[in-house]
Amino acid sequence: MSILTLKNVCKRFGETEIIRDVSLDIEKGERHAIIGPNGAGKSTLFHLISGKYALSSGDISFHDQSIANKKPYEIARLGITRSFQVTNIFPRMTVFENIRCGLLWNQKYGYSFWHLLGRQQDLNAKTHALLEEIGLGHRAEIPAGELAYAQQRALELGIAIASGAELIMLDEPVAGMSHSEAENAVALIRKVTEGKTLVMVEHDMNIVFDVADRISVLVYGEIIACDTPQAIRSNARVQEAYLGEVAADA
Amino acid sequence: MKQLLTKSLVWIAYLAVLLILPQIFNSVLAITIFNQMAIAIVFALSYNMLLGQGGMLSFGHAVYFGLGGFMAVHALVMIEFETFYFSIIYIPLIGGLIGLLAAVFIGSFSTHKAGTVFAMISLGIGELVAASSLIFVSFFGGEAGVSADRTYGPPFFGIEFFQDIEIYYLAAGWVFIATLFMYLFTQTPAGRMANAVRDNPERAEFIGYSARKVRFISFCASGFFAGIAGGLFALNYEFITEENLNAVTSGRVLLMAYIGGLGYFIGPIVGAVILTLMNSLLSNYTELWMLYLGIMFVLTVLFLPRGFAGFIMMHRVAWVQKRMQSLVMPYLLTGVPAMITAVSLVAIIEMLHHRGEEFHFLLVTLSSTSVFSWALVLAVAGASIYAVRLSLPRLHSAWEDANKLVDADEDNARP
Amino acid sequence: MLEVFIFATLNGLVTGLLLFMLASGLTLIFSMMGVLNFAHASFYMLGAYFAYSISLYLGFWGGLIFAPLIVGALGALVERYLLRRVHEHGHVAELVFTFGLAFLIEEAVQFFWGPDTKNYRSPDILDFPLFTLFGQEFSAYRGFMIGISVAIFIGLYHLLTRSRIGIIIQAAITHPHTVANLGHNVPLIFMGVFGVGTALAGVAGVIAGPVLTTFPGMAVVLGSIVFVIVVIGGLGSLTGAFIASLLIGLLQSYAIASDLGMPDLLNLLGLEFGRDHPLTDLWTLSLPQIAPIMPFMLLVLVLIFRPTGLLGKREQ
Repeated sequence: MSILTLKNVCKRFGETEIIRDVSLDIEKGERHAIIGPNGAGKSTLFHLISGKYALSSGDISFHDQSIANKKPYEIARLGITRSFQVTNIFPRMTVFENIRCGLLWNQKYGYSFWHLLGRQQDLNAKTHALLEEIGLGHRAEIPAGELAYAQQRALELGIAIASGAELIMLDEPVAGMSHSEAENAVALIRKVTEGKTLVMVEHDMNIVFDVADRISVLVYGEIIACDTPQAIRSNARVQEAYLGEVAADA
Repeated sequence: MKQLLTKSLVWIAYLAVLLILPQIFNSVLAITIFNQMAIAIVFALSYNMLLGQGGMLSFGHAVYFGLGGFMAVHALVMIEFETFYFSIIYIPLIGGLIGLLAAVFIGSFSTHKAGTVFAMISLGIGELVAASSLIFVSFFGGEAGVSADRTYGPPFFGIEFFQDIEIYYLAAGWVFIATLFMYLFTQTPAGRMANAVRDNPERAEFIGYSARKVRFISFCASGFFAGIAGGLFALNYEFITEENLNAVTSGRVLLMAYIGGLGYFIGPIVGAVILTLMNSLLSNYTELWMLYLGIMFVLTVLFLPRGFAGFIMMHRVAWVQKRMQSLVMPYLLTGVPAMITAVSLVAIIEMLHHRGEEFHFLLVTLSSTSVFSWALVLAVAGASIYAVRLSLPRLHSAWEDANKLVDADEDNARP
Repeated sequence: MLEVFIFATLNGLVTGLLLFMLASGLTLIFSMMGVLNFAHASFYMLGAYFAYSISLYLGFWGGLIFAPLIVGALGALVERYLLRRVHEHGHVAELVFTFGLAFLIEEAVQFFWGPDTKNYRSPDILDFPLFTLFGQEFSAYRGFMIGISVAIFIGLYHLLTRSRIGIIIQAAITHPHTVANLGHNVPLIFMGVFGVGTALAGVAGVIAGPVLTTFPGMAVVLGSIVFVIVVIGGLGSLTGAFIASLLIGLLQSYAIASDLGMPDLLNLLGLEFGRDHPLTDLWTLSLPQIAPIMPFMLLVLVLIFRPTGLLGKREQ
């Protein structure tokens, strides 16, 4: 059952077409990776789905409901959440508050100015639990901007999943991490996306082949292949796109 | 539980200070200054809801203060002529409601973006309202403003508010309530999301919040409390003019909040106190107090971007690590000469200002035509600057030592 | 009627070009550094004051030559030693700093020159009517103002589009890092642009001082209007600033010259209100009355419907 459907999606910036006629179906509960050379438009695709950019043409629907021109916060409320390639947290707020803010909408607090957050036991308990889960329990009171890079990425992930969304989109979640940090991050990602749908942009092929149920390959704004990791591995077009003609002939 | 107790203690202390102050300093001048401070504190705190907590720089905040104040004065007039008859203790609330209404209206179109666009709209609205107030003479009284008498209302437990000190206690009550509620606001979802939107509006949207709505709520709340400050102003002075709506007043509250420190809740309180003192006390001693204020402001922006509250909070690490004592001597060795330098520079400025005329400066009489004056002042300035330069390295290293994190190594070892 | 229109147009032109002289410097500085310099009009004021002092010894022309140079040098120093420091603390700090600077300059001017209005006069050589139309004179000095404004703009335009340094500046406006990587000294360029921008403001002060009166409040009078222009025209667009400057200069001029008002509008609609009506102030509103606030009305309207301004490019 597909929960996210992209149909003939195009995105132009002025004269330049970044995303050309992309159609994609994301199945419920699957782990879907999007790979492709630099500049292929992977982040742009994410921006289109999450509402940061408007579509030039085509449609995106979530649970058969079009989300094509909704605002980011409307899309977030429907159950789609995302992380960012460049760390995008609330630097002046504490780690604890970063996570707690991520929980607020989902826990039905809305724009309340009459609930005192200190007294919300359930909310605070959930925040602590999530902090422990992402391994930042001991850094709860530090301003988020002062965390080390890998920890900020973990926090980024934490904020994304705090909303309890069913579709989680991660944009290069392990970028800039050392090998061991990346291993930890991937383990964390697996754990927290249990039972949810994951779409991930990633460059590290080991991680991709390890985690993904299906892989889509985006090249110059077009999806040239969408299949299981095995099939992608032996796909000539994909090899050509990454390595040039020589590899394809080999 | 312990945290709750400490927090309550702070509030109890605040209330105690508010109540006891006029008993300690009970001259007419002191009470006047305390009343001014009360108004300034509420006004500056309301401004910080926008800037410090919401990240919205406004150049037109006086609009809500002024409109609240004008309505409050008119309400006093209505009480006097018994069109409506109620105790004046509710006057600040009326100011607040008008401030809120104005904020709802203006906020409906000005909170879509923060940053420069917001600042410019606030500037434009500020100028528009101030100019309109000179045109709509029937409500705003034109250049002469509007005045009233606060002693006509029904007595409040026998008090008829003839005396300034009675007004002070009423104001103190309102200041306490306003401060409490503004603080509590920061502890609510709306208040916290305001911080989040300030830090990263884009990210806030991706966690389900419309940045615009969050800003709108902060904007309205801030307008409400600014209106309360306006109401307090009306009660205190029984008089209000266009000046209280215009860019000068807007600029003044920006100064207060900034000098005090935007990033801390008590920052604006500190700023309001400092500015009120400068305004009332310093202006008695020198005509140039605005110049000094300007210099202080620019220096604060350059060297103390977190304001005075920020400067105090900078010592948090040293305090926690119980190394404050090691800083006392270096601070004295650098601080005292630095203050002497400042004083001597002020002396030079005053000398130039008085152009040959003799005047009293602290313990001496100075004149710009007297060689002795110049020799004295320059010598003191020179010596103190030299002393500062000598002692600065020591202060630097003492600071580094006091701030070195004891458990830094422990932290690095963790995964 | 026609004479009123012609003179209003000419006066509007003078004002508009003057405003553009201020707005262009501000736009350049904003485009380049992202800073909306609140103190820009203060440099305009300094230009007038310096020119006044210099003119006491070297005449008006001495002031015209040297005052802008002094102001520009001051501006460059402010950028190099003060603004750059504040830049690290973010845009809000920058805005607040320039705001504080404006405040400080106003106080400093009063300190050095006194709070009174200065008798800064236009040169005698230009004290004759350029032409007389329908019995009204148009002074040669105003003609000079128009002339010199246009000359400066042509020079600026050529500098920016035809000279090497101009092209580098244009590039540095949108891509400072690339330009730096190409080996150009971007900080020096910034300092230069700030200096030239403030010098332009200074020139505006030199020529406007005699006409708009030289007093410590002169920065405040023009300051907000210049911001309005820059924002309406579109932050970062010189053409936009030009159009907006002329628009506002002319609109205000026409508004002041006409004596239309609400009564005329009400007449047209066939309405009438008594003198005791609570909104009588509104019904008796006249165009000259609202002329000073027209720029702000325009600002709010533009910002609501087109936040990037008429021709805006750069968004903060």
